[in-house]
Amino acid sequence: MIRRVAIVGYAQSHHQHNMQKTREDMVFEVCKEALHHAGILREDLDTVITASTDFLDGRTISSVFLSMAVGAFLKDESKVEEDGTFALYYALMRILAGTHDVALVEAHTQGSTLNPHQVSFYTLDPLFDRQVGVLNDVAAAGLQARMYMNRHSVSEEHLAKVAVKNIANAAENPCAHRQMPDVSLEDVMSSKLYYDPIRELTMSPISDGACALILASEEKAREITDKPVWIEGVGSCQDPYLRDRNIQNLDSLKSAANTAYKMAGVKEPLSDLDVAEVSEKFAHEELMIYEALGLCQEGQGKNLVESGTTRRNGEMPVNPSGGALGADPVCATGLIRVIEAAKQVRGEAGAYQVPNVRRALAHGQFGICAQKNTVYILGGNGS
Amino acid sequence: MGFIKDERPQTICVEGTWSLSSYHYKGSKLLEQYVKGLKQKKLIGSFCPGCAKVILPPRNLCGRCHRIMDGRKTVSDRGTITCYTVSPAITKGKLKVLGMDPVETGLIKDGEILIPVFVRFDGSDSNTDTILLNAEPKAVHIGMRVKVIWAKEPQGALSDFEGVEPI
Repeated sequence: MIRRVAIVGYAQSHHQHNMQKTREDMVFEVCKEALHHAGILREDLDTVITASTDFLDGRTISSVFLSMAVGAFLKDESKVEEDGTFALYYALMRILAGTHDVALVEAHTQGSTLNPHQVSFYTLDPLFDRQVGVLNDVAAAGLQARMYMNRHSVSEEHLAKVAVKNIANAAENPCAHRQMPDVSLEDVMSSKLYYDPIRELTMSPISDGACALILASEEKAREITDKPVWIEGVGSCQDPYLRDRNIQNLDSLKSAANTAYKMAGVKEPLSDLDVAEVSEKFAHEELMIYEALGLCQEGQGKNLVESGTTRRNGEMPVNPSGGALGADPVCATGLIRVIEAAKQVRGEAGAYQVPNVRRALAHGQFGICAQKNTVYILGGNGS
Repeated sequence: MGFIKDERPQTICVEGTWSLSSYHYKGSKLLEQYVKGLKQKKLIGSFCPGCAKVILPPRNLCGRCHRIMDGRKTVSDRGTITCYTVSPAITKGKLKVLGMDPVETGLIKDGEILIPVFVRFDGSDSNTDTILLNAEPKAVHIGMRVKVIWAKEPQGALSDFEGVEPI
């Protein structure tokens, strides 16, 4: 990269169902806390980038009423639709361009405003798929899961094992929505069946939540903190529309990861990375994500969860925070993964800290069947 | 006050029946050709001269070649299930399939399930989403051969293609 850019502060809400706070109050609290965590003031910000989706926010140009909450009063501000990792990409580019030095990046969704699964219907082609009327993100995930499971002999028990791993991890994370420390395989496999094989506990919960992080150029980062988390690599890519792609693979994630790996000099992901935080909206997606990230060969994702490789104490922990199965405030979920990865690099993850993290991966996604994907490689001073 | 859907004397018009709420989506002429094909119990896809792929239902652009798909190709009304799922119990008023409540129209009984599927019709290169009818959920599998269930009296509407059933 032409400049080094670092994460120097962050905060997130206690994600939950139907939070008793307005969107503005929820966002204000995480922005204030992120500034405090970085030890800077609103006046130190050059730019603010937010992420949400107008449909989910229930208003168009949904950032106009947020400028006060995010600290953008009479400042340079912009908004991106969808996942917070896309907002981070935008902020990163602004700093790389040399026009700004310090950015606040914020993302949020209150899933209780309007069921996100209902909203997902409106991402479909209005003149065909919405007319047929049988798909939404959960039904499409059911189709994807069956296709993937059929091809690679993956069982419902494999999906349940992913869910148990992540939901149990979430119980150590005070910000996570699901707090089920004793969750069992039986609990997952007997949870309510939605679109076969998708069950209540193999899909993410509908959460209210927000997060914010502070990004700074190298010079500013070194002034602000002695524990900067450097963005060493980034890649983003999107697949074609649902009907025209092979939904049993995450090709765009593979491409995004390869771009990020090349930038960061990651050659062997399984050994070069110490931890990964990924946006698995459904349990089967995590197995597909392992494969797309090159942590294993295609079709071998189930082996990583069977062998315990991706458990918190495994060789390559994935989602020690609980991931999206732990909490899913839709547009914030990817940026939360970045924050969780940064926490691991800084050694600030508390009860779910993975020892000796030098390099971490964070992944964000958006769209039905994970159509759009972004990957970040983060490293500390010693990486 | 809700949205007001005004009449517009000039816009792109395609013949057929779509449920669009308050929006004025501009439909492709390909859709008109598609539903006219349905009236004749034909599935007309679009063909890309660049990569030779056939897309059903048709669309105008090929993303891979970044060009107009100006060819047309009629594909078979028989195909293969590439993936499936089984819905939760569907109750009256819960969803609309092809613009109609499947319980009200008698497609299924109140509380029954639907089986959404992707089908790759013979001669096409894309997935078409539809529902599998006249089959038990336990019998459905990837690779199952199916054929279109046509309306008894096709009207030139998406609903002429009612779903698919096992061959």
